[in-house]
Amino acid sequence: FTEMRTDNFVESSFWNFDALFQPQQHPARDQHDTFFLLDPAEAPQLPPGYSTKVKKVHSQGGYGSQGYRYEWKVEEARKNLLRTHTTSASARALFQLARQEKFTPVKYFSIDRVFRNESLDATHLAEFHQVEGVVADRGLTLGHLMGTLRQFFTKLGISQLRFKPAYNPYTEPSMEVFSYHEGLKKWVEVGNSGVFRP
Amino acid sequence: ARGLLINQNSRSSFTADEEFDELCFEFGLELDEITSEKDIISKEKGEEKAKGASDVVLYKIDVPANRYDLLCLEGLVRGLQVFKERINLPRFEKIIPAEGEGQRLVITEQTAQIRPHAVAAVLRNITFTKDRYDSFIDLQEKLHQNICRRRALVAIGTHDLDTITGPFTFTAKAPSEIKFKPLNQSKEYTASQIMDLYRTDSHLRHYLHLIENKPRYPVIYDSNGVVLSMPPIINGDHTKISLNTRNVFIECTGTDITKAKIVLDIIVTMFSEYCEKPFTVEAVEVVYPNGKTHIYPELAYRTEKVKPEYINKKVGISETPSNLAKLLTRMCLKSHVTGNGNHLEVEIPPTRADIIHACDIVEDAAIAYGYNNIQMVIPKTYTIANQLPLNKLTELLRLDLAAAGFTEALTFALCSQEDIADKLGMDISATNAVLIANPKTTEFQVARTTLLPGLLKTIAANRKMPLPLKLFEISDIVVKDPNTDVGARNYRHLCAIYYNKSPGFEIIHGLLDRVMQVLEVPPNEENGYTIKAAEGTAFFPGRCAEVFAKGQSIGKLGVVHPDVITKFELTMPCSVLEINIEPFM
Repeated sequence: FTEMRTDNFVESSFWNFDALFQPQQHPARDQHDTFFLLDPAEAPQLPPGYSTKVKKVHSQGGYGSQGYRYEWKVEEARKNLLRTHTTSASARALFQLARQEKFTPVKYFSIDRVFRNESLDATHLAEFHQVEGVVADRGLTLGHLMGTLRQFFTKLGISQLRFKPAYNPYTEPSMEVFSYHEGLKKWVEVGNSGVFRP
Repeated sequence: ARGLLINQNSRSSFTADEEFDELCFEFGLELDEITSEKDIISKEKGEEKAKGASDVVLYKIDVPANRYDLLCLEGLVRGLQVFKERINLPRFEKIIPAEGEGQRLVITEQTAQIRPHAVAAVLRNITFTKDRYDSFIDLQEKLHQNICRRRALVAIGTHDLDTITGPFTFTAKAPSEIKFKPLNQSKEYTASQIMDLYRTDSHLRHYLHLIENKPRYPVIYDSNGVVLSMPPIINGDHTKISLNTRNVFIECTGTDITKAKIVLDIIVTMFSEYCEKPFTVEAVEVVYPNGKTHIYPELAYRTEKVKPEYINKKVGISETPSNLAKLLTRMCLKSHVTGNGNHLEVEIPPTRADIIHACDIVEDAAIAYGYNNIQMVIPKTYTIANQLPLNKLTELLRLDLAAAGFTEALTFALCSQEDIADKLGMDISATNAVLIANPKTTEFQVARTTLLPGLLKTIAANRKMPLPLKLFEISDIVVKDPNTDVGARNYRHLCAIYYNKSPGFEIIHGLLDRVMQVLEVPPNEENGYTIKAAEGTAFFPGRCAEVFAKGQSIGKLGVVHPDVITKFELTMPCSVLEINIEPFM
C-alpha cells in the first residue's frame, strides 16, 4: 500500500463532506461535531469541473443515483474546517488517480491526525489519529474488502472478526468490523469500511 | 446512529437476549445497552430518585442514520419480522376521499419568505394506547432531531381532527397578530409573548431563532380561526391529542419539500397500523398560492430493474435470481424475476427513502445473505508501494534524535491563542495562525504555528521527573497560506528542548549539528547550513540564533526567555531548537 499525502489539517467542506456525498444539511456538519475556521473561513479554490459534477449529483442525481434533491450551495462547500476524517485525503488521492490518462490499480494508506469538536472524556479526545486504506481496481467485491480487512487485523494480532452492516454517506455497502476482546469478554468495534458509492 | 429504547415484551417473539443481539447484528443494528428506567434514573440522578421507577428491561438500539423507517418500535419490529420471514411487508394504501369530502390545506403567498412548503395527511379511526401514543410523540421528536435538522428543514404538527374544522390555512402573520393558547398552557399569548415565554424552556428555546427576527411568523388556522400550530415552535392546546383521539390531522411544514414528503410518509406508514383499516391513510389536498393543487401523502411505490449478475458481482457471491429476489423481499424490497430470468424487478416502498441507487439494493441483498457468510478473498492485483518521502524522513530523524538521548513527545495540534502568541511575547496577528470559529474551550482556539508550547506544557506536566528533561517532537504545524487551495497548509517541524539547572545551549547546538550530520548537510554557507545571531521574542537577548540552509531560514535555536519560562509555569532555564525539515526532502 502506498502512503498518501495528508499534509493538510485544514480542509474545505468540499473535500471533507461534499465530494464524499455527505449532504449539506446533515447534522454532522453542524457546529457541534466539526471545528469550523474563523480564519481562513473559506477555501479560495475548489476544483472547477469536479465541483460542478458534485453539485449535480447532490441536487439532481447522476451516475445511476437519484441524489438528495436539495439546493446545493457552493458557499457551504467553501467553508473551511479541521478535517474530521482522513477520508478527505483519500478523496483527493482518488481524484488525482481519476485524472491519470490510463487507469492503474492502486492500494493506498495513510495514518494521520483528525479533529472532532467533542467534549473530552475518558474515551474521547478532540484530536486523534486514523488509519485508512483504499484499494481501487476492476472487479472488486465486498468479499475482497472483507479479505483485506481480515489480513490487516490478523497482522495486528486480531483474528476473531465479525462484520456488521453499517452506514456511511460515501460507501454502500458499508461494514463495521468487530473483534472479540478477551479481557472485556465482549465484541468491540475495531473499524469501519465500505465500497465507495458509484 | 441514534438510540431507540424498546422494552423486552416487544421482542418477545424472538426468544433469548443472545438471539436478539445476533439478529440485530446481522440486520445492521447495534444493541448498545440492556438497561431499565430504574437504571437510567439511577445513573443520572442517583439511587434515591430511582426508587419506584420501572424495572422493565429496556433495549437501547442504535439505528443507522439513513433508516427513518427503523426509528420507532413499530417500524423496527416490522422490519425485523419481514427479515425473519414471519410477515410480509404490509401494503400502504392512500385513500382519496370523494369530491368535497376530503380535508384541504391552503398555503398563502406570505409563507414564501419564511417557510414555503407544507404537506398533510389524515389517519382515520385510529386507536391509541399509552404505549402507542408515547411512541407517536417519540418518533416525531427523533425525526425533528435528525432529518428535520432540529426543525429547521421540517417541523411536524399532529392534531385531533375532531376538535377543528377544515379547510385549513397555512399563512404567515406579524407576531402581534397571532394569539392563541399554546400546548399545555392555561391562557392565550401573542406570538411575541410566546417567544418570551419559552426563552428559558430547556427544550423549545433552541428553535426560537428559526423565526424570531422575521417580520412574519408561520401559523396554521382552521376555518374558524382556531390555531393548529405556529411552526416550528409549538402547537395550540386546542388540538392536542389524547388517548381518546380517533382522527389525526398531520401537517409538516418546512423549507425542504423533499424532506417534508419523506417525513410525512414515515409517520403515516408507521402509525397507520393502528387505524381501523390498518395501513390506510386518508389523503389531503394542498392548494398552492398559484392555485395549483397536490394530493399528499406521496406514499409512492417505485420499481427499479437490477441485473442479478450485478448484485452477485458486487458482493462476491453467486445466488440464483430467484434466491436474490427472496433475499431482497426479506429487506422490505419486494422483488421478482422477470425477462428471461436475467432481470430483477425490485419494488421500493415509501418507507425506504434511503434507496437512491442500485448500490443501495446491492447492500440490502448482502445483508439478507449475511455479511459473515460471504467468502473473503484478497484482491489479485500486485502493486508496488512507496512510503511518503516526508514521512520516511521523519521516521529516520526520530530514531536519530532518540539515539541522541532525547525522548519523543506527542502533543495536541490545537491550543489557546495565548500559547502561541502572548506567552511567547508576540501578538496573535503576527503569527499567521489559523483561527477556530467554534471552540468549546480556550484550549482549541487556534492551530499551533510552533511546536514549542506543546513541549513546554509537557515539561510542566512532568516537573517531578529527574533532570535534565530532554524532549523532542517531529510533527506538523499549521499556518495560513493564500497559495494553497484551502488557504492554509502544514509544515513538518522538528523541535527539541533541553530543561535543566543550566540552559544547555551547547547541547541544543550540538543536536542541531548532529541532525545536519545525518542529513548530510555540511557546515558551510555555500552548500550547507550556517547559523547567525538573531533576535526572537521567545528567546533570551543575545542567546538566539537563526539557522540557514538550502538558501532559506529554516528556524531558530537559543536559550528560552525567562518570561516565557514563567508563563508556562516552569522554574528552570531551558534551550530549544525548532526547524522546518521539509527543505531536506
